[in-house]
Amino acid sequence: MTAATEPRLSTLDAADTLVFSAWSAISPFGVGAAAFSDGVRAGASALAPSDGPFPSAALVPDFSARQALGRKGTRSMDRVTALAVGTVGQLLESCGPGLLEHPERVGVVLGTGSGSVQSIMDFTRDALTGDKPYHVDPALFPNTVMNRAAGQSAIWHRIKGPNTTIAGGALTGLLALSYASRLLRGGHCDRVLVGAAEEYSTQRAWLEWRGSGGTAAPLGEGGAVFLLEAESAAVRAGRPVLARPVGTRFRGFFEADGARRALTDCVRSALAQAGVDRDEVVFVSTDGAEEAAVVDALGRTPEWVRCAPLVGDTSAAAAGFQLAAAIAAGRSGHALVTGVERDGTVGCTVLELP
Amino acid sequence: MRDAGRQPRRVVITGLGVVTSIGIGVTEFLAGLREGRSGVKPITSFDTTGFSHANGCEVTDFDPAAWLERVDPGELGRASQFSAAAARMAVADAAMGLDELRGKRSLVSVGTTDAESRDLDNLVADQLRDGPEALDPVVARRSTAGRLSSSVVRELQLTDVEAVTIPTACAAGNYAIGYGFDAIREGEVEVALCGGADAVCRKTFTGFYRLGTIAPEVCQPFEKDRKGILTGEGAGILVMESLESALARGARIYAEVLGYGLNCDANHPVAPDRDSLARCIELAHRNAGVKPEDIDFVSAHGTGTKANDVTESGAIRQVFDTPPPVVSIKSMLGHSMGAASALASAACALAIQEGFIPPTINHHETDPECGVDCVPNVARPARLDVVQNNALAFAGNNAVLILGRYRDAV
Repeated sequence: MTAATEPRLSTLDAADTLVFSAWSAISPFGVGAAAFSDGVRAGASALAPSDGPFPSAALVPDFSARQALGRKGTRSMDRVTALAVGTVGQLLESCGPGLLEHPERVGVVLGTGSGSVQSIMDFTRDALTGDKPYHVDPALFPNTVMNRAAGQSAIWHRIKGPNTTIAGGALTGLLALSYASRLLRGGHCDRVLVGAAEEYSTQRAWLEWRGSGGTAAPLGEGGAVFLLEAESAAVRAGRPVLARPVGTRFRGFFEADGARRALTDCVRSALAQAGVDRDEVVFVSTDGAEEAAVVDALGRTPEWVRCAPLVGDTSAAAAGFQLAAAIAAGRSGHALVTGVERDGTVGCTVLELP
Repeated sequence: MRDAGRQPRRVVITGLGVVTSIGIGVTEFLAGLREGRSGVKPITSFDTTGFSHANGCEVTDFDPAAWLERVDPGELGRASQFSAAAARMAVADAAMGLDELRGKRSLVSVGTTDAESRDLDNLVADQLRDGPEALDPVVARRSTAGRLSSSVVRELQLTDVEAVTIPTACAAGNYAIGYGFDAIREGEVEVALCGGADAVCRKTFTGFYRLGTIAPEVCQPFEKDRKGILTGEGAGILVMESLESALARGARIYAEVLGYGLNCDANHPVAPDRDSLARCIELAHRNAGVKPEDIDFVSAHGTGTKANDVTESGAIRQVFDTPPPVVSIKSMLGHSMGAASALASAACALAIQEGFIPPTINHHETDPECGVDCVPNVARPARLDVVQNNALAFAGNNAVLILGRYRDAV
């Protein structure tokens, strides 16, 4: 009844390079990759006064699930899910209908923080404050499960390949890229929509504020999604090579002051894996943390691209926006994307920009 | 980068760390699986006043300080305590020295449904009482999903490591193990600590209760009058490494990971889809290079709800001309969410090693609509060569893992 006898069918040749061939963003600069690119190039901050614990925040202007996606199917949709569904939709639109010709061969790999802490905590609040502890809206229950944004992106757009949710704090976007790359090399699909989304919510703001003892940077939100596929597939489909992620490495540290050393080692090992000399690095898209570690690794102060001052700390989406900013820079050569997660991990991706 | 032209590596399981409601550690877990132990008892982790029934499968004898050596248990939420403790157990079970482990490039991937939602529940209660300005900073800080994997890094003091949490809900354990398989297979990492962790929380109990899917007393997968799930908790972490690595250090090999399949129904937020699950099973078979008739038993997702069990057994009958035994250890452990398929994988590895099929307990009469041999109530001795572990999640996220007996020439 089943054809299980043929060997694993990988469409990816061992020598084939993975490339980013399209991307999209919904950011505090507005909807679309162009709005993000223009915003980053202009260098104007999207932070505005906020009524949460932080004095300011960077929200996607005029964004709601209904406004972005229409009335149908959005009644119970929370903000992070709408950001994810919308950003994936932007990417699909920009690529045309052929992208989903074989929907079971297209994967979705999406990073989130802890799903929507607003949805989770609102649900518990309803349980604690209702007449009965089970007087909750069942339609909202799936929003409290952390694979909601990735899963609903697949349901909304009918994408039937592997569908994976990734979490790793500030490194989430790089971890999602690493996961997506292995999914492709493992032959599990032919292309992956990979990225991350994060919502601004009052509850997230309070958790970040209290968790940092009031020292955290202002928060932002949004989503960035990339099309990752084999270079040969991109060329066949007539899509451009926007960037080649040629090396991604991570390190752990467990001493309070261990981040700098860990990131220096991480940058070195990522460059070594990519076979790229440190002198070839044209610029570094940083999250702002431990930049001295990058200077140590490169032996000089590189040109920095920093999006956090512009779009706020977008937490799980931060590294996704850093990747987008590196591509949007429109430069040629090699760039690094670096991140530091205070829980004890660091990451670095080397991009080759054609 | 992958060495072009190099043969993919074979991947084996050499260590198991388990925290479960039927026993902590491999020895107790194995004994529980063999004797059909039940983890069910009244839920104590939150006030269940107002629910007409509130049984669950909690881990009641877990003392984090007894397992964690480096990390202060107070800085970890309960799910992270479970994952860090299970990881430490798994490394010890693999008889891999910590210095040896730290010298290898590694991956830590931990699946979850709720991560530290138990902490978030408690923060909501605090916030209702004292306002958001008073949220406990330590609890706020430790409540993120990434902690389930980064806590393993800190506890074991790993440095050359990639740590990722995979919150793909109730199939997450299989996703995490599959990720380790791919990373080792292509030669990028030498050892992977993979599995899943979750803690019982009010939020998820309430959601399933509201959906009418919480069983009043016990979990009875494939039973004619089954009444639903019981929420459970725990962690399962597997030490995986390349076959060369395991042989070089003379490690005991529980089982070989033959492959896995992933797909997404892309259809309904909570209801499973028979045809799509059948396709996922076929994908897993193809990727693992096995045929349906090779499978000696299926460890089902088997939640004990009407919808899951009839849909899942329908998918199995679609793929298998004659289905092998189909069991659900959720009858014993309840539904430990993101830990579930990791613990089921550990159970499959033990079953292969020890030569038995774990039973489906609480069983009286099989639902003819399911029509499977669920190995009712009593474990069955069997020589097992290839086993299949199913996992399904909300949003139609399916993950099917295939494990095999390790044989030195395949």
